[in-house]
Amino acid sequence: MFGPLGKKLIAHVSIGGFPISFDLITIIMSWIVIALLVIFALILRRSLRQEVDEKPNRVQALLDALIDLIKSQLTSSFSSDRLARELFPFIATLFMFILASNLISVIPYFESPTKDLNVTFSFGLLVFFMSQFFAMRRKGVGKYFKGFIEPYPFMLPLNIVGELARPLSHSFRLFGNMFGGAIMLSIVYIFPFTSWVIPIGLNFFYGLFVGTIQAFVFSLLAVAYINVAVET
Amino acid sequence: MHFEWGVVVKTLNWTFIANLVNFAILLYLMKRFLYKPALAYLDRRRELIASRMEAARQSEERAEQLAAQREQELSAAREQARRTLDDARAHAEEIVNASKGTARQEGERIITEAQRQIEQEREQMKEDLRRSYAEIAVLGASRVLNREVNLSDHERLLNELLLEVDDEALRMRQ
Amino acid sequence: MLQEAQSVVSQISGADIATAAKYIAAGICMGIGAIGPAIGEGIAAAHALDGMARQPEMEGALLRTMVLGQAITESTGIYSLLIAIVLLFVV
Repeated sequence: MFGPLGKKLIAHVSIGGFPISFDLITIIMSWIVIALLVIFALILRRSLRQEVDEKPNRVQALLDALIDLIKSQLTSSFSSDRLARELFPFIATLFMFILASNLISVIPYFESPTKDLNVTFSFGLLVFFMSQFFAMRRKGVGKYFKGFIEPYPFMLPLNIVGELARPLSHSFRLFGNMFGGAIMLSIVYIFPFTSWVIPIGLNFFYGLFVGTIQAFVFSLLAVAYINVAVET
Repeated sequence: MHFEWGVVVKTLNWTFIANLVNFAILLYLMKRFLYKPALAYLDRRRELIASRMEAARQSEERAEQLAAQREQELSAAREQARRTLDDARAHAEEIVNASKGTARQEGERIITEAQRQIEQEREQMKEDLRRSYAEIAVLGASRVLNREVNLSDHERLLNELLLEVDDEALRMRQ
Repeated sequence: MLQEAQSVVSQISGADIATAAKYIAAGICMGIGAIGPAIGEGIAAAHALDGMARQPEMEGALLRTMVLGQAITESTGIYSLLIAIVLLFVV
């Protein structure tokens, strides 16, 4: 937000002699995103104050469309309705947070939190642990561990690496897309002969198009990973 | 606490944990402010729509039932009317036929009556004629037998007789 | 001239060579690693488009599966990105 290209403002705090460092810009940006989302949620909720049998207003139509979109994706991806219902808040929040984070980069001087590897990797690991948890709950601990030596015991390292590669690729995909977009934008912006009109179009391309697609892909992959872990 | 400008991707730092905390807070807030009321609202509306659909379905069913009943009644009435009309037509035909039959019979009866009467009269006439011929013959014979008969007398008698016969015939014809 | 060049060369240390090698390796890694996913995603998009043109009513499912498949295809490119980042910033 304030810094030169490729640099970030790191805050070092020591709590009881234990050094802790934060990325301030990312945290402030995600707070802004959270505030925007909560305001959005409050606006959506305000539309629910009317009686049920009245004609739905515009905001309700938006809410309907949003919930329908996420719910239909979930119910068509998950084999069990219970899992879809359970995971609906998580996936919807994940999707909206990432979408808002990606879209906010269109505004000048606002950097998307998803540009930070910490954010994406925390989401990736969260999805990974959730998938393992749901798989364990569904299949039981014994069957869950037995799944690693199938179809043959010597496939064990391959299975483990395959499992571990998922959160990595999952989080690095989002990070790479957003970070790459930002770097492209910065590079285009540096040179005087390209810094006039191109950055606007490029900004919209990376912010709106790639951002929306990556938010969609991230939540879709989260759903797919959890579903695969639960089913197989 | 101090700040420094760091490289973008250096290592994972505590932003990781902070982001998870942020996300948990966001999840809670969204659940509290959006999902719960929105899902409850949508459920209520779905129930309302379902109940109204049910009511609409029922009323439609009843309307269909009523329509079917009316149709049935209408067809029954139509059938009734048709039957009545048929009956009337048949009756009329019957009446016409009957009257035709009686008229023909009457006519035939009258004709046969007339023929019979004519036949009777003719018989009567024949009888009368025969009787009068017999009388004339008897009269002629008696006259012939009672008188001196000459030719002129014969002639006169025969003429008288013929006249009488003619008269008789005239009388009888009348 | 030759002596100047020799003096410049003599100032190059092993660390400098390692840094240069890092940058070159990151560039090569990213460049070559981007070829595969690009081709693969293009093929996936082309076939999905074929399917959509043939059966427009299947568009939603095809689009979803295509995006999912492309995201998974992209993994190899992501791995090369990961290696490039590791080369640039960590090693």
